[in-house]
Amino acid sequence: MIRSALLIYGIAVLSAFSLAEYRGWSLNRVSEIPNVPRSVRDNPGSYRSVYGYYHHYTGGK
Amino acid sequence: MSSSGPTPAGNPQVKALNCPSCGAALTLRSFSQAVTIVCDHCHSILDAQDPRLKILQKFNVETGEDPPLIPLGNRGTIRGAPYEVIGFQRRTIIVDGTPYSWHEYLLFNPFKGFRYLTEYQGHWNDVSVLRALPITSPGASTLNYLGETYRHFQTATAETSYVLGEFPWQVRVGESAEVSDYVAPPRVISSEKTGKEVTWSMGEYMTGSDVWKSFKLPGSPPEAIGVYENQPSPLSADVTSVWRMVGIFLAVLVVLIIVFFAMAQDQQVFSQSYTFNTNNPKGEASFVTDVFELKGHTSDVELESSADVNNNWIYFNYALINEDTGHAYDFGREVSYYHGYDSDGSWSEGGQKDSVTIPSVPPGRYYLRVEPETDYYHGTIYYSVTLRRDVPQLSFFGLAALALLIPAGFITWRSMNFEHLRWAESDSGDPSLLGAVEKIRDSMQGDDDDDS
Repeated sequence: MIRSALLIYGIAVLSAFSLAEYRGWSLNRVSEIPNVPRSVRDNPGSYRSVYGYYHHYTGGK
Repeated sequence: MSSSGPTPAGNPQVKALNCPSCGAALTLRSFSQAVTIVCDHCHSILDAQDPRLKILQKFNVETGEDPPLIPLGNRGTIRGAPYEVIGFQRRTIIVDGTPYSWHEYLLFNPFKGFRYLTEYQGHWNDVSVLRALPITSPGASTLNYLGETYRHFQTATAETSYVLGEFPWQVRVGESAEVSDYVAPPRVISSEKTGKEVTWSMGEYMTGSDVWKSFKLPGSPPEAIGVYENQPSPLSADVTSVWRMVGIFLAVLVVLIIVFFAMAQDQQVFSQSYTFNTNNPKGEASFVTDVFELKGHTSDVELESSADVNNNWIYFNYALINEDTGHAYDFGREVSYYHGYDSDGSWSEGGQKDSVTIPSVPPGRYYLRVEPETDYYHGTIYYSVTLRRDVPQLSFFGLAALALLIPAGFITWRSMNFEHLRWAESDSGDPSLLGAVEKIRDSMQGDDDDDS
């Protein structure tokens, strides 16, 4: 019983790993924005990143 | 008044007698084999070999004080042979002032002889007398029987505290014997020493439901409490096979990661160097790159930002935009590097490079929108942006390995915990890792106590 369950579990883990590697999954998440207008290429300043105006850590001791 | 001996099938054939003490009817099931018989009415132990049933002992208990779970006269099948319950006794040991009692059922088959069923808190053993002597190690910590090693579990003085039925020996309430148990689950070898006589027997663990099935008893057996000395671990057989299976899975995982690393494109699709003049705060900092193509199947893209920051930072607002669909992947990355020297010595934070993986990007024509930010008036920062397509990720290898190890670790822990519970009842100590850990902890506590 335990061995059968582990066999199924192991195959599932290896399948998920293979799919993740093949499809290029990542632990990082990025925001996806649909339908960015073509005008961005001519006027990059017309696009505002969702990460803009981020309060930056200036570091140092 | 009499009949022939018991038969292995059909209705039990018995011999009827009367107690010379109270006159109650007695039933003799093992005939010439019986040495003593107990009157269950007045609790007289009688000499079954004497035609007048001489009274050997009377003991004082309440009638029905400890009724057997399998009534005397019941028949059941053990190892394919029919047996009849002819005797019942309760035996008690005292450990650290606490009495522990178990029950023994004497079974008889005229062709096979005697065997016993023992019961303690819902745990059962099928016991028969050994025909050969086991080999005991020096110190008697282990013994060997037919090539199998048995570990010493417990030695105690057992006293007979209650008897019913008939017995092929001179049974007495109050008689005592030194009993030692050696276990190799599911078996246990026991020695009983009375005077100079030592009797060896072997028991094999049975569940209550097995006993109930064998004797076709009504209802359900009492639930087993705790872990018994020779109770087989439900997981011990699985631990080795589970680790073997996990080892195979890990080997397959390593092969897969080698295959994915070998087959991955890991191709540089874009690389460009730029400058950012921080002394010109009024200009538009954002710009777009030339279009580049991401080929192959949907896979990841790794973006590396490199900047010559020195006690400074630069932040990039990135958007990887599909030229045809307008679908954008928006993210921000910071490159910062600080270093110095203080009373603790030299120190540094961050670095001049940063990389990020953008997951599952479909093939197509893309460009990057880049918008750098930093504190103004820090001169010119030189930086570069590099994109690689279909880069294999090691993080999933680690996660998959961990996911495979967790169930094996859990099963091992459960098995060790079972053994710990078993050996916690032993007077030979706990050989498991948990026991070792406990001993270390106890010794450390002892040291602390000594210090205080």
